[in-house]
Amino acid sequence: MTDRVQSVVVVGRDAPLWLASAAVQRALGPTGVKVRAVELDSQLAQVDAYAALPSLALLHRILGLEERLVLDVGNGVPMVGQRFSNWAKGATPFLLAYDDEPPPGGDLPFVQYWTKGAMEGLRVGFDHFSLGSACARLNNVPVPGPGPAPLSASYGYHLDATSYSQLVKQLAVRLGVEPVSVGVSNIDVSGESITGLDLADGSRVSADLYIDASGREALLISRLDDAKFESWGDWLPCDRLLALSGPRLGRLPAFSQISAFQAGWVGLLPLKDRTAVIAAYDSTSITAPEVVELVGVVAGMPITGDAVVSELRPGIQRSPWIGNCVAIGEAAIALEPLDAVQLQLTHGCISHLITLFPATAAEFPEAAAYNEAIRSFGSNLRDFQAAHYALNRRFDEPMWDRVRERQLPSSLRRKVDIFGARALMAMNDDESFHEQLWAALLLGCGEMPEGYDPRVDSLSDQAHMAKVQERLRAVAEEARLMPSAEQFLNIDQGAAAPVSA
Amino acid sequence: MDKPLEIVILGGGTAGWMAAAGLVSLIPPSRCRIRLVESDEIGIVGVGEATLPHIKNFNDLLGVDEAEMMRATKATFKLGIDFVDWGSKGSRYIHPFGVHGPADAGLGFHQQWLRSRAAGREWDLEEFSFACMAARANRFDFPATGKPTINSTYSYAYHFDASLYSKFLRRLAEPRGVMRTEGKVRDVEQDSDSGDVRALIMESGERIAGDFFIDCSGFRSLLLAGKLGVEWEDWSQWLPCDRALPVPTERCGELTPYTRVTAMDAGWRWRIPLQHRTGNGYVFSSRFIDEDKALEELLRSLDEPTLAEPRLLKFQAGRRTKSWQRNCVALGLSSGFLEPLESTSIYLIQIAIMHLVPLLPTRRHDQRLVDEFNLRMDIEYERIRDFLILHYHLNSRDDSELWRYCRDMAVPESLERKIRLFGQSGVVQQYKDGLFTPPSWLAVYLGQGLTPAHYSPLADSMPLDRLLDNLDELHTSIRDRVDEMPKHGSLLGRYANSEAATDQLLHEAEMRL
Repeated sequence: MTDRVQSVVVVGRDAPLWLASAAVQRALGPTGVKVRAVELDSQLAQVDAYAALPSLALLHRILGLEERLVLDVGNGVPMVGQRFSNWAKGATPFLLAYDDEPPPGGDLPFVQYWTKGAMEGLRVGFDHFSLGSACARLNNVPVPGPGPAPLSASYGYHLDATSYSQLVKQLAVRLGVEPVSVGVSNIDVSGESITGLDLADGSRVSADLYIDASGREALLISRLDDAKFESWGDWLPCDRLLALSGPRLGRLPAFSQISAFQAGWVGLLPLKDRTAVIAAYDSTSITAPEVVELVGVVAGMPITGDAVVSELRPGIQRSPWIGNCVAIGEAAIALEPLDAVQLQLTHGCISHLITLFPATAAEFPEAAAYNEAIRSFGSNLRDFQAAHYALNRRFDEPMWDRVRERQLPSSLRRKVDIFGARALMAMNDDESFHEQLWAALLLGCGEMPEGYDPRVDSLSDQAHMAKVQERLRAVAEEARLMPSAEQFLNIDQGAAAPVSA
Repeated sequence: MDKPLEIVILGGGTAGWMAAAGLVSLIPPSRCRIRLVESDEIGIVGVGEATLPHIKNFNDLLGVDEAEMMRATKATFKLGIDFVDWGSKGSRYIHPFGVHGPADAGLGFHQQWLRSRAAGREWDLEEFSFACMAARANRFDFPATGKPTINSTYSYAYHFDASLYSKFLRRLAEPRGVMRTEGKVRDVEQDSDSGDVRALIMESGERIAGDFFIDCSGFRSLLLAGKLGVEWEDWSQWLPCDRALPVPTERCGELTPYTRVTAMDAGWRWRIPLQHRTGNGYVFSSRFIDEDKALEELLRSLDEPTLAEPRLLKFQAGRRTKSWQRNCVALGLSSGFLEPLESTSIYLIQIAIMHLVPLLPTRRHDQRLVDEFNLRMDIEYERIRDFLILHYHLNSRDDSELWRYCRDMAVPESLERKIRLFGQSGVVQQYKDGLFTPPSWLAVYLGQGLTPAHYSPLADSMPLDRLLDNLDELHTSIRDRVDEMPKHGSLLGRYANSEAATDQLLHEAEMRL
């Protein structure tokens, strides 16, 4: 077929550029598609780190990237969950971890049994029934056992952003991607299509399909007339991101620590050699120097290095695929680095693009399907982040009051409502977090259901209590048997310093 | 805890008894008490005699013994639907209850098949569907369980007598605690402030009060439309058929493990084989044919002698804008009607019950439960609607006005986009909720005559000779496995009815003579 897409140019930077190039090369290289990657200046600072969801391991497997190599090169530490503190004043912190989704068609979701228990006086929080959370609390890593287990959880990673990106670049090049390391000086557009790129060295590249992996800059897609960026700032109020570095923690926590403060949140992402510190904040409520000062206090550690501040502008491209240009990752959907979604944005977009890879270079009816899917995928992630803000219980602080009083997106309203009524979940297409994780989030944010599925009452009170206790026991026991983060990484325990909280 | 919810079900047809049996089996008695009101004088429509595989899950949840149910309802097995003359006159395809290709191939299989076609192989996709090939051979066996193998790639449903199914469920539900009241409803008592239904007043004078009412009164929609005034949304612009003429005929010689639906000039005709008779009927649009002519066409086309006079049913495609309003939820025909082309009527009752179970209210009104239920039902109805429209819209028949109208009509935009995408490269858009999965869409797109202009570039990643070898091997293995299966009639006879077995043996003997 002569009108097939024969050439792809990916323009971007850092991990998204190389993940996208490698994935397209891996899937379509064998069919003769030529992939070139035009590398823009990195936007990463030395202090930057990625927190990645467990699903990243699936992408690595497809690309042939070994976990050990990723952890070694990226100074990586397993991320078993995220611990949220101070999002509600006076409330105990909660751990959101990544328990695997139970197979469909089995018993009712455990949250149903837990809700009945809680309504009748059970005092043990929902996260104590999660294997991932129990592991995180012990700094253990839930590695898969030899056979199928009734309880299982997965882990993601904390990775040094620059060295991880370099690793993926090497992989992409090894797979056959042609790197082009000069910037773009001009983009030629004709109607709804990109006709070519002039590069800084005077050369020119053109392709049948262009992938915009430039991150928040949205270099290519924003040049097209039909591009329209829709802001999500109403629900995600932070407009600045600040990155710093701290010393390595004595005993490696297996989770990110995310603490809210008066005008944003501070995240600690442990790495093998240091602790990456990030803060997202609302610049109308607080200045950068004030944040730096606060971060030291919140983090409880000496902060080193210069603070790097960048802009946050949460939102989505209304049409991430226009003509022959497809935006992926943060060029399509911009969110906060909360809930470890950064690389997930890239991963999800790549998956959809490859499934819908255009059949011809002449027309792209695939675009409408991609745009619909990305909208759903992005809105679901936005809702997950927005829930933290909307359901906050920090009263009498302007940013938190404002965002709490905003009307929720209808998709999140629906989830909060039906969870509040029955501990049920209303799931959409392209959800990154399954039902149980949504339940864990909403409970963590303090939403207590007023009822549960009536089928729960088919168990006698005694059988119900036994079921809940058995789960608690099994989770605790399983978690205890898992290796510690240090054992998992084959490194010495180091000084037995207490876990920073 | 609250006192148990007093549930009153109005109507004892398929919807009424499915609701009664479902709720009494799934919800503990501490949460609800169920009373069903029906009149022996009011006939039931007995929606659809063909079902979808989901019915087996429902029966399993209720603890129904399959063989017993099949004996009681004169049931046969169903592997899919045979569409005759739909895309064009003389064309034929099966929409199977199963996937095309091997168990572990995923969605990409048909792309490999498309590539093999582009390379000159003339085979039909059906030849790679175990369910289709078994159906064409009139064979049936239970799907293999455990390891994924080629004979685990399908599921099955039943053809049964829906009124016998209602009776079967009644026998199950009453001993479990459903209280049945016979009689006609004279009046309905409503709360003057909220509009909530308070009680049914029977002709006998008895007042049957309840906290929650389930309207299974059929087309009349006595409570939801009649008392609560929920409006009707008309879908006949896309689904113009508005009449049906059902007629039973004698049982057919060899029992087919599939429903046959044949396109006619002004609609379509069904043929559903049961153990004791064959269900037939003509669904047509009164805009394109008059009733006498339709009757004549129907009687001319039957395979077997009739057992009764055809009776005319009138309807309109569409639904109530809400299935649940105040303290009343409507199930089945009282909530909407979609023609039985894809056997969705009983499914819609079942899924409404399964959505209702977790959302069943307490005695206190909670609008969040109502909104969630209605939203879930919107998705179910609309996705089935679009799938039905697809059968009408994608046709190249030029021999009658109905088919020309349907081909030219504007369809919902989301459907238009799906069709365009498939037409380009054979990509089937997926969704999480809603009835029909990609293999169903695939069968209908191709069966109706929409051949993708290209195949997905991903299918090019395997060397062509290896791809063709794999397909050849699969093709042979399906054929071999199907040949080993028992005939539908003989398996059915052994499993659920000895009479059918004898007939089948006689039939096979005749064929050999």
